[in-house]
Amino acid sequence: YPLFQLGGPQLRIFRPNFFMLAVRPGVPQPEDTVQFRVSMEMTKVDIKNYLEKIYNVPVAAVRTRIQYGANNKRNHKNQRVKTPDYKVAYVQLGKGQTFQFPNLFPEKEQDEEAQSFDDFRKKYLEKEQKIQKGDPRRGGVPDWFGL
Amino acid sequence: MAAPGGCRLLLRLGRRWLSQEPAVPPPPPPPPPPPGPLYPPVVASHTARSKAARRRRLEHFQRQVHEAASVEEKLRLYGKLQRPKYTVHPQTFALNADRWYRSFTRTAFVPGLPAEAAEEPGPAEEAGVELGALRSLACDALLQESFYQKKRRPFLYRDQEHTPGPFVTQLVSSLAASLCGHNPLLAASSLDLNPEVNYYWHHGEEVVVHGHRKGRVDPVRFQIDDKPHLQLRVPKQLPEIVPLESDLGDVPVIDHKPSKLPLFKKQYENKVFIGSKVSDPCCYGHTQFHLIPDKLKRERFIIANLEDQIEVVYRANGVASLFAWTAAQAMYQGFWNEADVTRPFVSQAVVTDGKYFAFFCFQLNTLALTAETVKNNPRKNICWGTDSKPLYDVVEEGSVKGFNDEVLLQLVRFLLNRPKEL
Repeated sequence: YPLFQLGGPQLRIFRPNFFMLAVRPGVPQPEDTVQFRVSMEMTKVDIKNYLEKIYNVPVAAVRTRIQYGANNKRNHKNQRVKTPDYKVAYVQLGKGQTFQFPNLFPEKEQDEEAQSFDDFRKKYLEKEQKIQKGDPRRGGVPDWFGL
Repeated sequence: MAAPGGCRLLLRLGRRWLSQEPAVPPPPPPPPPPPGPLYPPVVASHTARSKAARRRRLEHFQRQVHEAASVEEKLRLYGKLQRPKYTVHPQTFALNADRWYRSFTRTAFVPGLPAEAAEEPGPAEEAGVELGALRSLACDALLQESFYQKKRRPFLYRDQEHTPGPFVTQLVSSLAASLCGHNPLLAASSLDLNPEVNYYWHHGEEVVVHGHRKGRVDPVRFQIDDKPHLQLRVPKQLPEIVPLESDLGDVPVIDHKPSKLPLFKKQYENKVFIGSKVSDPCCYGHTQFHLIPDKLKRERFIIANLEDQIEVVYRANGVASLFAWTAAQAMYQGFWNEADVTRPFVSQAVVTDGKYFAFFCFQLNTLALTAETVKNNPRKNICWGTDSKPLYDVVEEGSVKGFNDEVLLQLVRFLLNRPKEL
């Protein structure tokens, strides 16, 4: 959108495609930094206003970058298939707040029966695989090979 | 030839018999020197891609630096290899930068000044008689710069060099000149205007990510290039504040890469400089004066709702600049991370934005910050610092309102700091 100068018309945008998706950072980040994937049209100021006005989150600083999606994959017609580009925003929270991305898939505690059933199934599968492989003393030679 | 041989034998025997000496066996001939090694010593290769070869190259480099003939040669060899390094700016807008800088420089921060610098009744009483004179000096300088002198409107983002810069210069030079009588060290000092201070060091290790050196373990390199507003260099070192091995706080530990600060890498000359070359007699530091730039003014932080970052700017500036200065002074004396300092290096700094003054003291106890040397190194560098306090409230119609004497007194105490012998 064009820059606003004093006295100029206020160009408003209605229903912009502004979205923010909190993601787990690929590399360790400082404690006060949250990583988001945002819409390509959002600027740093937009991100700050979005978080502060809608979610009441104090934002100290925002840095953005655009991740280029590679164009190397090929489909069955050998045409190049592009993975989409996306914008990543690193938001530093204000007022000393910290954020740790939660573990979305915690390991559930299995009750006794399920655990013992799992162990039994694992042992059975191992035995089956050993029978499939054959006698280890034959060194991998198939059993139909012999006199 | 039996007869001559026999004559010689008889002569020999006769001579001995005639002299009637007791029969002394001739001294045994000296044992022949043990034969030298037939083959050269078996050492690791110099050029192989192995850990032993790397170790050997590293030891060769360390031996070269240890045996360097002069300090200039040592500094040249120390910074010979250029690689991408993080440029650490002492005056930065990054959030919580002082915590990071303390981690990079292994510094523990102690709020408040050390007891000796906080109250010095002796010299302060002598100067207390003239505190009025010093106060009038300060007010004169302030009024001259902000009221009497007719100046044009400052250009964008050049406010600091318009009024507070010249005020600080005038204040410091006039105070130093008037306190020369009380502190002979000031008389032998050298006041630098806009000097340059640089320091290059390694801290921690990382794996190279891109490029032809991918996969190798490299030390993380840092460089500070600082331009203080003013600097006082002296020929004698300031006394130590606490013993070398004292532990006054914790060093923050960061578990991610420094580039998340944000901090960026660049490759250029690895410079170590205190403001003057090695052969200058004033090779120890006394006080630095830093001016906060326009982009880091108080008002901008208040508008952005970041009041707690105001003090962070002062602290980060104090820690980084003083570490660079004291470490460069130590390197000028021949110490480096393999040859750690044997005596602490002390310097002071005043960080100001024209109205608010913050005072810092730094004691360098260790230079050994590389991954190998820091493992068994219990020493930490220590930085004392205060919050920023205003020197005056407002300048109105030819007079200064709300002049704060404590700030001036602290400044005078800083300038009067000297070694015990003087």
